[in-house]
Amino acid sequence: MAETKPERKLQTTRGFYKNYVKKFYEDAHKAKAEGKPVAWVASTFPVEILQAMDVFPVWPENYASLCAAKQVSVGLCEVAESKNFSKDICSYARVGIGSLFEKTDNLPEGGMPKPDFLVASTGACDTHFKWFQFVSRHYKVPLFLLDVPYNITGADSENLERAHIEFYVSRLEEFIDFLEKQTGTKMDKDGLKETAALSDRTSQLWDEIQNYRKTIPTPMDARDAFSAVFFILSIPGTQMAVDFYTKLRNEVKERAENKFGIIENEKYRIVWDNLPLWFNLKFFEYLNNLGAVVVAETFSHVWMGKLDPSKPLESLAEKYLPNFANCSIDRKIDLIQNLVKEFTADGVILPTNWGCRMMSIGETIVKDAIYEKLGVPSLILDIDSSDWRNYNEAHVKKNVEVFLQVLSERKQRG
Amino acid sequence: MNILNPFRNLILTRHDVAKDWKMKDKHVIGWSCTYTPEEIIYAANSLPVMVFGDLENTKLADVHLPINTCSFARSCLNSSLKKDYNYLDGFVASSSCDNRNKIFDMWRYHVKIPYMHFINTPHTRTEKSQDFFYEEILRFKTSLEKAFGKIISNEELKNAIQVYNENRLLLKKVYDLRRKKPPLISGVEALEIVLSSMMTSKEEHNKLLNHLLAKASNRTEMPRDGIRVLVCGSVMDNPELLKIVESVGGNVVADDWCTGSRYFWDLVYSNSDPLRAIAERYLNKIPSSFMLEGEKRFKHTIEMAKWFDVEAAIIFVLKFCDTHLFDAPQRMEELQTLGLPVLYLEWEHSLSGLAQLKTRIEAFIEMVGGVE
Repeated sequence: MAETKPERKLQTTRGFYKNYVKKFYEDAHKAKAEGKPVAWVASTFPVEILQAMDVFPVWPENYASLCAAKQVSVGLCEVAESKNFSKDICSYARVGIGSLFEKTDNLPEGGMPKPDFLVASTGACDTHFKWFQFVSRHYKVPLFLLDVPYNITGADSENLERAHIEFYVSRLEEFIDFLEKQTGTKMDKDGLKETAALSDRTSQLWDEIQNYRKTIPTPMDARDAFSAVFFILSIPGTQMAVDFYTKLRNEVKERAENKFGIIENEKYRIVWDNLPLWFNLKFFEYLNNLGAVVVAETFSHVWMGKLDPSKPLESLAEKYLPNFANCSIDRKIDLIQNLVKEFTADGVILPTNWGCRMMSIGETIVKDAIYEKLGVPSLILDIDSSDWRNYNEAHVKKNVEVFLQVLSERKQRG
Repeated sequence: MNILNPFRNLILTRHDVAKDWKMKDKHVIGWSCTYTPEEIIYAANSLPVMVFGDLENTKLADVHLPINTCSFARSCLNSSLKKDYNYLDGFVASSSCDNRNKIFDMWRYHVKIPYMHFINTPHTRTEKSQDFFYEEILRFKTSLEKAFGKIISNEELKNAIQVYNENRLLLKKVYDLRRKKPPLISGVEALEIVLSSMMTSKEEHNKLLNHLLAKASNRTEMPRDGIRVLVCGSVMDNPELLKIVESVGGNVVADDWCTGSRYFWDLVYSNSDPLRAIAERYLNKIPSSFMLEGEKRFKHTIEMAKWFDVEAAIIFVLKFCDTHLFDAPQRMEELQTLGLPVLYLEWEHSLSGLAQLKTRIEAFIEMVGGVE
């Protein structure tokens, strides 16, 4: 057996939920109670600007994943469906909408504190702002939409179209006006520089952590990554994020140097795309038991980005515009291709997400391209991250086991 | 002869219409979203046609697309994979929904049309967004010029605007025929008229519309009187669905969808810079659901309901059409506030499932009309 024995689990991420996530929601409620502005934010929005203005960011997507992990997401989806929201839209959105109608006592962490305003971007999908549009109407609070040009050429930060950067920056300037009106305070330029510098440091550390995972055997698995990514995703521009990642980096570094793998007998190194099954995070342990370990998640690699404190708005454009959610499929192919090569992966798992077009359409192209370019096989798993009603575990496991068998035969052939 | 036949024939022979156009040494450019500024294509002496699918199976596209994809977009991809569109010289997409953005990759990888272009359409209408969109439209014009070796003059743009505006005004006049009780043309016919306008040159279509308007008042085979229904949704290219409504005692007299009023309701207003006038028209037209502005969108729904004096509404949303699915609950509420009974249907772009829709539509119309 190659399971993660308790002594192999990382120290730094132990009790992650209790020590960091729970604490985050306590802080959010506290901020609200103290009259600090609270914004609901959708992913790919440049949260650094909110942090610089001392606005507390709450992430309904994170909240939805938390509800899935706590096994309450489906109940909330059903509430949204009873309000005529389709079963086929994003399950995060259904959980978020459902939670608006539920008593806070019944919700994990007392629900999300009520927002003073909402911010979304089109940088990942249209769903974010359509969902927030409903919240805006429900709570009668304003919504700012940062509409981001779709990066059709899949350009990286150095090759973005000038017009796209300029539009992004000009919209951020409009956003700062909005923010100043909402909070009644002026944007502190130095504060933004400071936040940008911290966010940049967070990114660097997270990058270092990922790089240590290239080691054979890998010192860190997806289970840890999908927890720890919380900091770079939710509060990148904070000392707290820097401190946590420094600790995690040190631990992962030491293990990498000592070749102390997260599992004992590493057989298959996997790259994982999109989201995990939030309602079944033990899935990664199941993989471990079969000798498979996730060495890289695309999700861990899309939130990094250099920020130059001397030109914060422009570097935010350069950080967020190339996020693969906002790009043609070529960008994802490049990313996965690099991950497979650099992390010496044997196979790629491409989970789709039922309510998400962005994560579902194009995986066939990725699968073909990775095989064609590198000869590495991929497995497309049709699942949903947070709604388990159509989840057929036996079917999924059978697919995974057949896939690992294919990888095994390829290894034997050399 | 039924005066509506020419429109139906255009739909049935649309690929031949396009091929005939090519025989005259002209280009055919496919587009996929009503935010594509067709005037520019027309001014380039090319024929802009909307890419549609058909209602047959989609086994060629199914290889590439997961189940949870918009079935309309799937069907369009399928038609191109089976080479129905092998005459296209170009294909233009627009960032107006996640399905489209992602399926553009499928076109690039698997269809490979000689000229492909993607227009970034902002989702807001702020000053910065207007400027950005103008630049996008200019970029599109330049790219067309380069691809087909023809400079598009301001005069040609102005002419295109005039032809397109005429088509819009004529379509509005046709829609006015539906205000009569009973309406002078049926919902199926109105849909076919609008769809056909997307499949041939607007100049030709204008001639057909003028002819129709001249003859319409003397029509003998009029629709029967029935429950006046407003239909809403994203794209609708399946007249069968409206036939169901009209076969069970309904009259579809108004619509709020991309293949209806939202396509032609707004004109291009003259401006010394025709390109800017075009950009303004498209970004500021009655918004589709991917635009942030909810209020203006629902206002149009309500205006349609009032102007055409409807008694009931049916919301048809294509499965997996996210932005419209998100709007549906509010759209229902807004219509119910007017005192209208509303039926909300999610539909698949295929022939299967029609029977089930028929049962629901029948029950709804019966409920509205009261059992006789």
